[in-house]
Amino acid sequence: MRRVGWVRTILVLAVVGPSACGDGGGTGSWSLDPRVVQAGAGVPFCEEVTARVSEFMSGFEGQAPPSEQHGGVVVVGLPGELPGGMNAHVAAPNQSLQVQIFLNLMTLVRYDSDLIATSYLAESWGVSDDGRELTFYLRDDVYWHDGELTDAYDVAYTFERATDPETAFPNDVWWTFVETGPGAVEVIDSFTVRFHMTPHADFIDPWTMMAIMPQHLLEDVPAAELRAHPYGSVCPVGNGPFIFAEHRQDASWTFQANPAFPEGLGGRPYVDRLVVRNITEQTTLLTELLTGNIDVYVAPTPDQAEAIRDSDRLELVHFPNRQYVFVGWNSRRPQLADKRVRMAITKATNRDEIVAALLGGYGVVSNGTIPSRHWAYDASLGADQTAFDPEAARLLLDQAGWIDRDGDGVRENAGGLPLSFTIKYPPGNQLWQNVAEIMQAQLSTIGIEATPTAVEGGTLIQQVLFSRPREFDGWIYGWTIDLRLDDTALFHSAWTERPNGWSGTQRPDIDRYLERLPLTLDEYVAKPMWGEYQELLVDEQPFTFLFQPERLVGVNLRIQDVVMDIRGEWVNVQDWWIPSSERRRGRR
Amino acid sequence: MTTFIVRRLLGAIPLVLGIATIIFFVVNLAPGDPADRFSSPSMSPEAREQIRVNLGLDQPIHIRYVRWLGALAQGDLGVSFSRNRPVTDIIQELLPNTLLLSFTAIGVAFVLGILLGILQAVRQYSLLDSIASIVGLFFYSMPSFWLALMMVLLFSLFASVWGWPIYFPASDIQSIDYAFLSPFEKVRDRLWHLTLPATSLALVLAAGIARYTRASMLEEIRQDFVRTARAKGLSERVVIFKHTLRNALIPVITLVGLYLPFLFSGTVFIETVFAWPGMGKLVVDAILQRDYPIIMGGSLVFAMMVVVGNLVADVLYAVVDPRIRYD
Repeated sequence: MRRVGWVRTILVLAVVGPSACGDGGGTGSWSLDPRVVQAGAGVPFCEEVTARVSEFMSGFEGQAPPSEQHGGVVVVGLPGELPGGMNAHVAAPNQSLQVQIFLNLMTLVRYDSDLIATSYLAESWGVSDDGRELTFYLRDDVYWHDGELTDAYDVAYTFERATDPETAFPNDVWWTFVETGPGAVEVIDSFTVRFHMTPHADFIDPWTMMAIMPQHLLEDVPAAELRAHPYGSVCPVGNGPFIFAEHRQDASWTFQANPAFPEGLGGRPYVDRLVVRNITEQTTLLTELLTGNIDVYVAPTPDQAEAIRDSDRLELVHFPNRQYVFVGWNSRRPQLADKRVRMAITKATNRDEIVAALLGGYGVVSNGTIPSRHWAYDASLGADQTAFDPEAARLLLDQAGWIDRDGDGVRENAGGLPLSFTIKYPPGNQLWQNVAEIMQAQLSTIGIEATPTAVEGGTLIQQVLFSRPREFDGWIYGWTIDLRLDDTALFHSAWTERPNGWSGTQRPDIDRYLERLPLTLDEYVAKPMWGEYQELLVDEQPFTFLFQPERLVGVNLRIQDVVMDIRGEWVNVQDWWIPSSERRRGRR
Repeated sequence: MTTFIVRRLLGAIPLVLGIATIIFFVVNLAPGDPADRFSSPSMSPEAREQIRVNLGLDQPIHIRYVRWLGALAQGDLGVSFSRNRPVTDIIQELLPNTLLLSFTAIGVAFVLGILLGILQAVRQYSLLDSIASIVGLFFYSMPSFWLALMMVLLFSLFASVWGWPIYFPASDIQSIDYAFLSPFEKVRDRLWHLTLPATSLALVLAAGIARYTRASMLEEIRQDFVRTARAKGLSERVVIFKHTLRNALIPVITLVGLYLPFLFSGTVFIETVFAWPGMGKLVVDAILQRDYPIIMGGSLVFAMMVVVGNLVADVLYAVVDPRIRYD
């Protein structure tokens, strides 16, 4: 008796969600399937906008697929949620930003494969002769998914909200040289919008990342309340190639092809649906890729690369990322105050071996902050000075007065202070932990005692960025940076007391470059200056720059025409297609 | 009985509030700041400060506590820092998944464990008893996340690569075409996804339950009333299931209350490995991201479930043991 009741309970619990029936049909004509679109039932804002989206899209109902290539579902596995959802004004990791700008929303411009800005939402743009006015001319055929036209007022709204201090826009440094405040942005006409700025280098870069948001839906929402608005994670309405269909919290985001996407921008994407799934455990992600349950696995670990390469149904895509990993030094510590000591540490760390062994070769040793595909990048700079050479490292330490005076294997200075420090890293990142342990072993051979110490992530940030005095000697960290380079926050002497000035670098010559570089527009003038700046960084060694890892992505071969590069893994998601024989059978 | 349940539930309110208060201060006083999750050179210190203001973190901790209590009284658990949605909505979405998983696991574990325990007791010192003991101990001493990974490897990866007749999905609670399935297929799809995670959780529990049942059964089987039952010619089935088992179950039922908290911590690993969108994974994520509203909401829910679980165990005592009365 009891067992029957238990089974019934499971059955009842199992059938949650809509009980619509039918098999969903084949890959025939386009329709915004109500069984897939389940945005925010019960939330008034969402019910209203979802109804409007459905109404607008019903105009495309029954439209024949433009070609044989259209149809099918692509499933992408990511190791995490998309915090902030499709709300471009909210603090979110790069992963969310990528989905925003390539799937659901649009940016004004985007980069081509050579990182040259090309038109997207903006058909063209122009800069005034004095370099102080930037005018965008928008396309007039881009519709929000609820049928409203995207216009200059949306752009102005997006910018005003992003620069409103109350919004707490996480990338506010983008607008350092752009005029903000009331009246700063001019709407010339419905499709023309103008910004005022101090002439500066790579001024277009933020506009390749700032997704434009719908003014007509959000203008009444106070800036401070944008974060919690259901628009972000419950019922986003974008204007990009993919319509938001469903968000299952901590499980998946489903998008559906947008039939109204302008032909001039490639038109409706080939795949019918795109499901982004959140799977934390990387072993599970790999299993699901190998068993065909997901088609794209974003960011497998280097040790998983082999299993992907070995499979004849999968392809391992790898491309340079805008990420760099470093050990940041606290030059306020007496052990680390001398740049010769920091150089000795770098020279005693075999970074080539680290890249080969820990990254499986998917990465390059770095000597500065410039990403390897950037126009200012020069791989040769600093390579000789920092090359692995323990003997030279010993000599540097001798010159700096650090000598093993008591024969215990650890060097001391004249005052008897041992050359001993900790290298902190956040636990859970196996790669960084391995780096710390390798450094410990390699530094011990030249008489330096480096102790790897795991400190919980949030606590570590607190200790390095906000504690005064800062509670660290060295720490391993890495981040993805913008292509508009600006290291002021990291290395300018005026910033040493601000959060990111943890290295405590005080070099007037570095300051001069940091002040001039962002304002040097001409790349031909700027490139040698970047080179000189990097030479100074090599000389100063505020960080031991470790490597720029490559981004790895496992892709099922049934997905055709996948292009991924430094711009991101979604860059041509509109063009991905699946031959009809390879689609998941039976259903859409 | 009703009075007893009501009294216990009322008594639980200060208990749950006390737990929540302690957790509130512990998580708020722990180092680290929710605003630092996206710290990068692109974020100015001013923006960080504004994020703290928007999250209400600029207020002193006692004000935050009073506000939190006030909101709680109105059924408002606040807005998640990391998911930017009301915590009540998130819990509403994820709690059923965790309950489905835990109760399936606990159901399977008890049925399996009790049956195995009876079998072992009835055939004490037989080959079957020894094998069951060894296998039981094997599962009992196994960390559940490891067992879960092995399950994924065997019944998902190898089963698929080598074309075994049985195959189970390694993640999520449903297939991606779930919306297009018929009601019957939906149930089947859910059960199919439930199999591996529920089994991983249940096996570890069942091993322990079997040990308890065996010991308890052995004690009862030697009692005089069992001999009497046999002497009056009752069939062995009636003797074991009606007379012995009912008495032997009393200590085993205590385990329901004891296992619930254990089960919830177990789901943390299981939910992570199987990408099961549930409370365990959510709360652990929240702790790492300093998402105070979710940590608080999640702990409240867990505390309440443990209280209710213990209450259920107490009520079950009365059902099984006629000597126990809650008057």
